[in-house]
Amino acid sequence: MPGPTPVSATSSAARPRESPLALSVRALLRKRSSRIALVVLAVIVLVGILAPLIAPYDPAAQPDIVALKSQSPSLAHPFGTDPYSRDVLSRVLYGARLSLVIGILATFVSLTFGVAYGAIAGYVGGMLDAVMMRILDAFLSIPRLLLLLGVLVAWPHLSIAPLILFLGLTGWFGLSRIVRGQVLALKHAEFVTAARALGASRRRILARHLLPNLVSPIAVAATIGVGHVIVLEAGLSFLGIGVPQPLASWGNIIQDGADQVATLWWMSLFPGLFMVLTVMTLNILAEALREFYERRS
Amino acid sequence: MLRYIARRLAQAAIIVAIVATITFALIHLAPGDPFSAVLDNPNVSESVRETLRAQYGLDRPLPEQFVRYVGALSRGELGWSFSHDRPVSEVLGQALPNTLLLMGVALVGSFALGILIALIQVARRGTTTDHALNGITLLFIAMPDFWLALLALLSLAYWLPIFPVGGAVDPVTHDYLSAGGRIVDRLYHLALPAMTLILLASASVARYQRAALLDVLPSDYIRTARLKGLTERQILRRHALRNALLPTITLIGLSFPALLTGAFFIERIFAWPGMGYAVVYAIGTRDYPLVVGGVMIGSIMVTLGSLAADLLYAWADPRVRNI
Repeated sequence: MPGPTPVSATSSAARPRESPLALSVRALLRKRSSRIALVVLAVIVLVGILAPLIAPYDPAAQPDIVALKSQSPSLAHPFGTDPYSRDVLSRVLYGARLSLVIGILATFVSLTFGVAYGAIAGYVGGMLDAVMMRILDAFLSIPRLLLLLGVLVAWPHLSIAPLILFLGLTGWFGLSRIVRGQVLALKHAEFVTAARALGASRRRILARHLLPNLVSPIAVAATIGVGHVIVLEAGLSFLGIGVPQPLASWGNIIQDGADQVATLWWMSLFPGLFMVLTVMTLNILAEALREFYERRS
Repeated sequence: MLRYIARRLAQAAIIVAIVATITFALIHLAPGDPFSAVLDNPNVSESVRETLRAQYGLDRPLPEQFVRYVGALSRGELGWSFSHDRPVSEVLGQALPNTLLLMGVALVGSFALGILIALIQVARRGTTTDHALNGITLLFIAMPDFWLALLALLSLAYWLPIFPVGGAVDPVTHDYLSAGGRIVDRLYHLALPAMTLILLASASVARYQRAALLDVLPSDYIRTARLKGLTERQILRRHALRNALLPTITLIGLSFPALLTGAFFIERIFAWPGMGYAVVYAIGTRDYPLVVGGVMIGSIMVTLGSLAADLLYAWADPRVRNI
């Protein structure tokens, strides 16, 4: 068993105490592959933030739906135009913004639920834990995409905020089980017994003594989770029940060209490349983080 | 062993029961019902809607509807598909064999390919080959299913017209072919969707198997084998792989959700007449019972998949049975 030690014990006298975040970033900068991944990810995030400044056109504008529709890549439109004469490059840049925002916010929802559910089940234990875990088993056996299909078909024409909520609410089952296992393992550790003996409340023990030891699985799950949500959102948009038009998300753009993929190849190729790059860098970073945490514990 | 099987079966049954409750909640948490003006033709009068609700039992109290729903499920009924005007179980039952064929071929193919890649990587660990394969598997793990499927369709069906663009058989000539010709026709249509799914699924198998192999290599029995003078290849295949395959059995169960999700997109893109194709079509027509039926069948498949993997594991590793 990877014996998790309390954070306060590892970062003791020898080194000045560093926040877990600073430690993780330093660990990532030490490896070449994760350095490259960080740079690539930073560029994509910058593209998302600066989209209004660097996009050559308005992503929703349909300047000339007859003369300018479905044009292959050219100097004026490096990624071509779509069947509504919109500039695909501008849409891909704005798509970066939307996809990242959805990914991050939905993952935040997942983390909140996953940690709370897992911590309660693990800490309270007994009958409640057993029931909560069986429910988790059931949710885990419904593929996430199918669960979302079921929800989104029942609530048609959702706007972005509820879509993010549902993406987040379907993504915490795996993390929850990890958190529960960790809490269960740490529940009887000496530092927890000590805190209890000193009269700390349940809530305080969970928040101040147990959660700090869960930083590593949470950080890894969050990093992978953002990538998962980006791909899921794209998949849902591709099926026509994700991000509503005329907003640009990477999945939306691909969907707009999917029926004529043989002629409009640029519409699936470019947004897809951005998506693969984003998810790949996130996965590389998650793996580097996991390695770092495993070596430390 | 028998006790282990019985306990595992009971667990699976409980999971399916909870899933049924979840799908029921999904239906009834949603705003309106299939006959409310939001989802249906707004020109239909309210009295007609009421009659339809009464016919489908939607005017009953929720607990009664739940009991009826569970009763119907236990008889294998999944409700009525509005767009097909047929029972959902019939629509999905017809599509299921195609999905199982696609997933089955992909399951076997992806584990074979994944294990092969891992063996090559570990045999040449640290070399350029290892690093290159590492990069490739990372790339394929990051690839969205539908994107790879679109690229495969574009490059190997349109640009280089090697494979057909979709369907399970040739719509014109299939009925006139000989028995052998029909099998060839089916395989020819299966090739590209199956290859896409195999590529997608094998990447994670390869990474998992590589890690498992590297885990067992420092073991004492490997050192013993090396000291006996066995070649590296013999050690890898006879000693390391056999032990490193055990965790891979667990991965079979875990890979079902991804395979199923992949099959959904691939069926949509290659017009493969399976369950995914039916459900995606049902999204377009807002055929809610069909979508929920698909969710139900999909979850049962995943549950059975992990059950099968666990039993396989218990058979392969006697230590598990007695826990």
